[in-house]
Amino acid sequence: MTRIILILVSLLFLSALLFAPLAVVFASAFENGLGAWFQSFTDSDTGAAIRLTLLTAAIVVPLNTLFGVCAAWCIAKFEFPGKSMLITLIDLPMAVSPVVSGLIYVLLFGAQGWFGAWLQEHDISIIFAVPGIVIATMFVTFPYVARELIPLMQQLGNDEEEAAITLGAGGWFTFFHVTLPRIRWGLLYGVILCNARAMGEFGAVSVVSGHIRGLTNTMPLHIEALYQDYSMSGAFAVASLLSLLAVVTLIIKTLLEWRMGVHHR
Amino acid sequence: MSITLEQVTKRYQGQPVVNDVSLTVAEGEFFVLLGPSGSGKSTLLRAIAGLVDIDDGTIALHGSDVTHVGARQRGVGFVFQHYALFRHLTIADNIEFALRVRRMKAADRRERRKELLKLVALEGMDERLPAQLSGGQQQRVAVARALAHKPQVLLLDEPFGALDAKIREELRWTIRRVQRELGITTVLVTHDQEEAFALADRIGVMNLGRLLEVGAPRDLYARPTTRFVATFLGAANLLLALQGAEGIRLGTTPVDATVRTPALTGREHEVVTVLRPEEVEMAAEREQLTTSYMGRATVEELQFTGALERLRLKLLDNQHAVQTTGNGAEGRIEATRLQSERRAMPLAVGAVVALGARRMHVLPTPLSSFSIHAADEAAAQLLAQAPLLETLAGRMKTRVATCADASDGAPNARPGVAVIEGSDGAALRAVQLLRAGANEVLLLSPSTTLPEQICMFWLDDAARHATMAVTASLLRHLPAEAVCVATAPAGRRDAKRANALRALLDARSEARAAHALETRTELVPGEGPQALGEYLAGLSAPLLVLGTADITTAEAALGALLARRPGMPVLVVYRESAR
Repeated sequence: MTRIILILVSLLFLSALLFAPLAVVFASAFENGLGAWFQSFTDSDTGAAIRLTLLTAAIVVPLNTLFGVCAAWCIAKFEFPGKSMLITLIDLPMAVSPVVSGLIYVLLFGAQGWFGAWLQEHDISIIFAVPGIVIATMFVTFPYVARELIPLMQQLGNDEEEAAITLGAGGWFTFFHVTLPRIRWGLLYGVILCNARAMGEFGAVSVVSGHIRGLTNTMPLHIEALYQDYSMSGAFAVASLLSLLAVVTLIIKTLLEWRMGVHHR
Repeated sequence: MSITLEQVTKRYQGQPVVNDVSLTVAEGEFFVLLGPSGSGKSTLLRAIAGLVDIDDGTIALHGSDVTHVGARQRGVGFVFQHYALFRHLTIADNIEFALRVRRMKAADRRERRKELLKLVALEGMDERLPAQLSGGQQQRVAVARALAHKPQVLLLDEPFGALDAKIREELRWTIRRVQRELGITTVLVTHDQEEAFALADRIGVMNLGRLLEVGAPRDLYARPTTRFVATFLGAANLLLALQGAEGIRLGTTPVDATVRTPALTGREHEVVTVLRPEEVEMAAEREQLTTSYMGRATVEELQFTGALERLRLKLLDNQHAVQTTGNGAEGRIEATRLQSERRAMPLAVGAVVALGARRMHVLPTPLSSFSIHAADEAAAQLLAQAPLLETLAGRMKTRVATCADASDGAPNARPGVAVIEGSDGAALRAVQLLRAGANEVLLLSPSTTLPEQICMFWLDDAARHATMAVTASLLRHLPAEAVCVATAPAGRRDAKRANALRALLDARSEARAAHALETRTELVPGEGPQALGEYLAGLSAPLLVLGTADITTAEAALGALLARRPGMPVLVVYRESAR
């Protein structure tokens, strides 16, 4: 009896807080039919926002993947001074509010910032431009790959890599033929989480972007702009697209979790 | 020589885990490194493979120095405890890995793979994944994989550690057969002495980072030279006996014992003897024994272990003279006997039997036990708790006796190393003990901790050998740096200096050859004990082993040294010069 009540309460909460908003997003998006939904994306500003989001993710995700693998490798395989410091630093973006993360870069690269004068002299714009958005997104999504890989690599140990080396394999050969196949599912999982956050980030990007339509608005920022303009159908259409990406991400994540479970057994 | 290690040292955070190990392994030899966990044996093996960088020393494979060559280029075959198979690759791909790295043609690779799978009796397993194989099969694949590129050296790190007893045995045969067939130089690391006996041409026993003894299994078992090897290789009763001109006696009973080293001095002195459990004879009465009588004992414990019966006996008489060490309890003797012997004379717990020793072996170690000489019992107890003495006695598994001396009279020397407090007048007391018959006197204070350097210095050349033997014995139990010190007057007299230097280097090679003791040498400018005192004052935590053949000079030197650095632990080694 208690079990049934507990399950009911959980389901009620889930539907109220998760399913209902999702349903509203899709219902509102398709309110005026499929045609109107597609119509929303013909707007040039919307197109630009989607392209910018994809571009940001395309730059940020590979870079953070590379960084994550390197950092996880260092932490899992070597002992060095400042190791615990590095682990703490990797976690920093998760602890800091995204707005603060954005502000850091404004303070660094903004017109009144530390490097502001120098950047202006050399005619380089970072804040209120694409580079700022990329940097801020990168900062926020820093930990995802590394966090996923560190425990995995620590658990796997060094034996197989050492075996490969005694068998005559070089560093790259060992990485691609031994290490990478072992960590691939964990890595992919980290990459997907990183991608989801990169596409959906609002706070940090909002601070550094300047909200210039068609230029520095990413999808989340564009949704807000459309909403502020009372362009409900447009806002919900873009929102549904973003939600769709999130749902697909979750499905891949679930599949991966299942795959990793099989792999570990 | 296939593998040559010279003075290899590896430190982790300043602590040596492999300490001054020198070793040669011959072509085609099966060498087993045996030691408890944490003895440094795995680290040494990984150093040979190049997986661990060493801090000092050189490693040569087939005559070429590979100390600074990476693991990849050394090309040895390495088998890990947990197999370390590539889990995502099939057995075929695992075995061919080294060949793919070397860009061998697919057809040749396949041929070699078939050959190897046949060698380890796993034909037809090519397309399986490692997870589909049993532990024993996986380890056989690992052996095949390590042999794929035809390495000249095969290294195995506890290869049977993760397997159960039956498979362990089977795999042992496989590895021995493969090694014989290929004639490949092999080094295997294990903590299991039975495994070492079954596989090895020669065994090297390691403890606390040092390679203690190397030899054929039979020799090491029958004639160990250190306590550690005696007790680690099979079970052993360590008994304290007295060696005199007439031979060895246990208490009042003379016994037959194999003595490899002649008596250390003319005086009767205490020695450590090894009595294997299977060499203990039991009879109802003393008259029925066919071997030397040791004493009567009661059966305390009986254990059935299949082929053998194990007994733990408590000596009834002769108990104080026969001090047993090694199995934790004083006066206890461990014995084993065959089922046929058991049937001939069934015993129950509580039965009283006469014990005989069929064969005993005298360890050449110069340090047997400790006797603390103090003014009263309380002071003796305080001294017994000195960290240095407690650690040393614990690791040597030996007795620390205490005796209160009459404060006015001359002390009576007891067997073993005499221990006194290194306070005022210690030099005089040490000398009194030497005169009274002690061969070694240890001076320390209740707060003496473990030394970082053990320095040896002899006042007379006649005491050189004994000083080295004692130092070597200490170093087997204490992880310290060994320094061989000599003094030579500074300045123009070059000939004298050169002589001193030559003597020092000779001493070093003697220490190495005769005692397997690796030392650093230090030539101190100045004259005798004064210069030595100055040198010792500059060390962080020295222990001095001071050899002498003349009691009078020893007193003066000891007085000067203790005045320069009061409280420093000193072990005086006295040997009458042969006249």
